[in-house]
Amino acid sequence: MDELTAFGFYPAGSLLHRLDARFKLVFLVSISIAGLRAEWLALVTLTVFAGIVLLVSRRSLFSILIEIRYFIVFLLLICFVRSISTQGTCLIKTMFFSITQEGIRDGILISWRLLLVVLFGMAFIATTRPSDIRAGVAWFLKPLPFIPHKKVATMIGLVVRFVPVIFNQARETANAQKARGIENRKNPVYRLVRLGLPLVRRTFENADKLALAMEARCYSENRSDPDLSSGVHDWFAAVVVFFLCVFTIVL
Amino acid sequence: MNSASQMHMMVYASLLAALTAAGAYLAIPIGPVPIVLQNLFIMLAGLLLGSRWAMASVGVYLLAGACGLPVFAGGTGGIGKFLGPTGGYLLGFLPAAFFIGMISERTGHRVVFDILAMIGGTLIIYIFGIAWLMVVTGMSLVKTLAVGMFPFLIGDGLKIAAAVPVARALRPVIKPKGREECVINQTK
Repeated sequence: MDELTAFGFYPAGSLLHRLDARFKLVFLVSISIAGLRAEWLALVTLTVFAGIVLLVSRRSLFSILIEIRYFIVFLLLICFVRSISTQGTCLIKTMFFSITQEGIRDGILISWRLLLVVLFGMAFIATTRPSDIRAGVAWFLKPLPFIPHKKVATMIGLVVRFVPVIFNQARETANAQKARGIENRKNPVYRLVRLGLPLVRRTFENADKLALAMEARCYSENRSDPDLSSGVHDWFAAVVVFFLCVFTIVL
Repeated sequence: MNSASQMHMMVYASLLAALTAAGAYLAIPIGPVPIVLQNLFIMLAGLLLGSRWAMASVGVYLLAGACGLPVFAGGTGGIGKFLGPTGGYLLGFLPAAFFIGMISERTGHRVVFDILAMIGGTLIIYIFGIAWLMVVTGMSLVKTLAVGMFPFLIGDGLKIAAAVPVARALRPVIKPKGREECVINQTK
């Protein structure tokens, strides 16, 4: 669970924290979609905006960089592949591939867009309570037919509850097997089965107990959600984001 | 289906969604590319829960991720992830789990068909994943395959091989409750 809590809600009283979760969901989606079409000038504007947003959400830059380190490796890979696969003016030529100017330009452009999407997503997670997110999503699912939104919200709650249980069980199983010399087994299928089987069986037994406990307490789907309310500042933020998106697409 | 077994299936589906989320972190370090357990649990969801509940399980997993819970690989989450480079794989999980569940149900849980279902499911994931990766990064098909499919094929084979005995061992754990309740219903 250590890895999971690092990337979660960060309580504070900033303006972003006070915005309505439903509005923030809409903002996130619209900025993500608009950002995929952005060119250089729009990207600079969006980056400045992302910087302000992250500053307001009070996350340290260092912790953000640590959390997205694997993602940055992936971006570098895209940059590299793109730079050797695009035709154009040749900069560096080796025996197997040549790096072109246009390729580097395209690679940076694409990586920058993807990085921005992730940064806005992080700002959203850091400033919105998980229960508010759940309520916001349930609110958006409500008009959709065939989707039982209360049941879905309960299931998401159960997922959050199960994850630490699974991690503890996995650690226990892995340690027990290390003590019995599992490292000497080189067959990967054997090791997948020996880790997966006890892990899944024991967590299923735990889930059984939980289902019984819910039944015993007369669980039903008619429960009250946390209250969501929107105010003037939400609509003001909506106008700002709207103009930002239009600006991004037009440029 | 009565409400008690509905409840059991709901809890099981949530558990498999949680296992999928945990599977993004749990890796067995063998060789240069560690084997991540994430899609092993997608396949198990199909084999153990059947088509409908497998799709519910994966749907809840994706929705939890879309809400911003850090359940996707690399400890990320958020709706932006669907628009990012790996978004296609994530969306592909949904039809893949349904397909595996459907084939496995129709063929009476026989091993050969289970394996075929999982191969088909893996193909579905790659069709979605590669298509989207091509759109987002603008790479050619061959390059995209080299980055987004070939390095993972061995791991997928191992996971399919591992899923068969795990599913066979776990089906009896899940099944008896359903039967028990059926008996109770009939006696009522």
